[in-house]
Amino acid sequence: MLRVEKLDTFYEEFQVLRKVSISINEQELVVLFGPNGHGKSTLLKTICGLLTPVSGSIKYNDVEITKLTTKNIVEMGITYVAEERNLFPQLTVLENLKLGAYNVNARQKEEENLAYVFELFPKLKDRTKQSASTLSGGEARMLAMGRGLMSNAEFLAIDEPSLGLAPNLRIEVLNQISEINQRGVSILLVEQSSPKALDIADRIYLMEEGEIAFQGNKEEALNGNYFKEAFLGM
Amino acid sequence: MLRDLIEVLISGITNGSVYAIMAAGMTLVYGVTRVFNFAYGSFFTLGGYFAWLFFGLKFNYLLVFVSIIPIMFLVGLSAETFIIRPLRARKDWEILSVMVTLGLALFLDNLYLVIFGPFVKSIPSLFEGYVKIQGFVISIHDIAIVTIAISIMVILMLFLSRSRQGLAMRAVAQDMTGAEIVGIPKDRVFAYTFALSAILVGAGSMLLAPKYFVSPAGGFDILVKSWVITVFGGVGSIRGSLFAAFILGIVEAIVGFTFGLTWTLIAWFVVLLFTLIVRPQGLFGTEA
Repeated sequence: MLRVEKLDTFYEEFQVLRKVSISINEQELVVLFGPNGHGKSTLLKTICGLLTPVSGSIKYNDVEITKLTTKNIVEMGITYVAEERNLFPQLTVLENLKLGAYNVNARQKEEENLAYVFELFPKLKDRTKQSASTLSGGEARMLAMGRGLMSNAEFLAIDEPSLGLAPNLRIEVLNQISEINQRGVSILLVEQSSPKALDIADRIYLMEEGEIAFQGNKEEALNGNYFKEAFLGM
Repeated sequence: MLRDLIEVLISGITNGSVYAIMAAGMTLVYGVTRVFNFAYGSFFTLGGYFAWLFFGLKFNYLLVFVSIIPIMFLVGLSAETFIIRPLRARKDWEILSVMVTLGLALFLDNLYLVIFGPFVKSIPSLFEGYVKIQGFVISIHDIAIVTIAISIMVILMLFLSRSRQGLAMRAVAQDMTGAEIVGIPKDRVFAYTFALSAILVGAGSMLLAPKYFVSPAGGFDILVKSWVITVFGGVGSIRGSLFAAFILGIVEAIVGFTFGLTWTLIAWFVVLLFTLIVRPQGLFGTEA
């Protein structure tokens, strides 16, 4: 479904991504692990059009999307849920969600998707008239995820959704992501190392220093010492 | 004495209502596009000159109003698309956009001088005549100005809070990356915001021109006043512009009446200074 080939992205003169190649198949939940600052967010941002790569290609359903604007990429069905969340602070929860459905494909499904978001995140339903800046960390992450779902995306690129949350909330968020995936949305998830994240993944990539250092499924990850020691601390 | 004060207040409120429209345009542009449009006053003057041209062609008031809107829309749209957008790719776009809009202002103001000459142009009032209320004399045109101006503000505020495009504008002002993430076409929003601000300032020009005439130098005053109101009300806050515009319109009228008209511009600068020192975010400032 999504094929990234030999992507090079720079931040000013500094090369962040080095010939990165990954792929996600339909309905897969692929998790990208790796130390902070090694390019995971940059990869997601490049895929979603927020950053432009210097070389390489990104294909979605065999269509070249490398040079497209984020608006076009969203219309094709790919939505980014940022680590920084990037919510609209002075707008209400409901207004944030409605803006999630801004793209043309999402507008007809707005009511349906809104109902689904409230079902998944009942806390948001209680706070529809609250402005986004007054939400707690966990609620803000839910809103960011909910807003992403409103876009009617077939493919979600989710960046560290459990960052800064208490352990029980972290598990809950990952469960919700797994549920979204069960419903048919393909997901590329960037996450901190955790057994839970490993558990929900279909396949795993490990990124270090802007390169893919490991790829495989759960069994391969657990059987290979490198991954276990370096990353899960086992 | 009281009578004079009341008449001064009425004058202040009348001007304030129009200042509100124009400040709203400026606060929108700065909040959404992060560009300070130095040519804002020149757009104001342009609206006035087009109105004068159309009245010269014997258009009636309504027709002039309706014709000015698409023209100002195109002016704002073109300015953003052809002059400012190319700059955004560069690192120093903020400084460059200031220089470029300043250059545009100088160019336009001198263009007006060349084409229309230095003498002021006048526009007929919407209504002639006065009403007497409790012994106070109020011109019907002033009542019309306040009514029209407030209606425009109400429409603007409804647009921003209820319509999808209005919401999109506010989103871009609050978090540009977030707006991109949900698929809002940032560039188009920038252009439309500029266009909207041009319409607002053009409408303001039409409302004020019968009383204050159109001249090549008039734009500078409007630029300063709009900016002071924007800062005092809080950059990015339409509600702030509304309150600030009325307050400052009344202050200006009182200062003008008490000390003379030459002191009014100084009063504006004093308010600006006061705001920056005491409460830099302005009355309602948060959005941008």
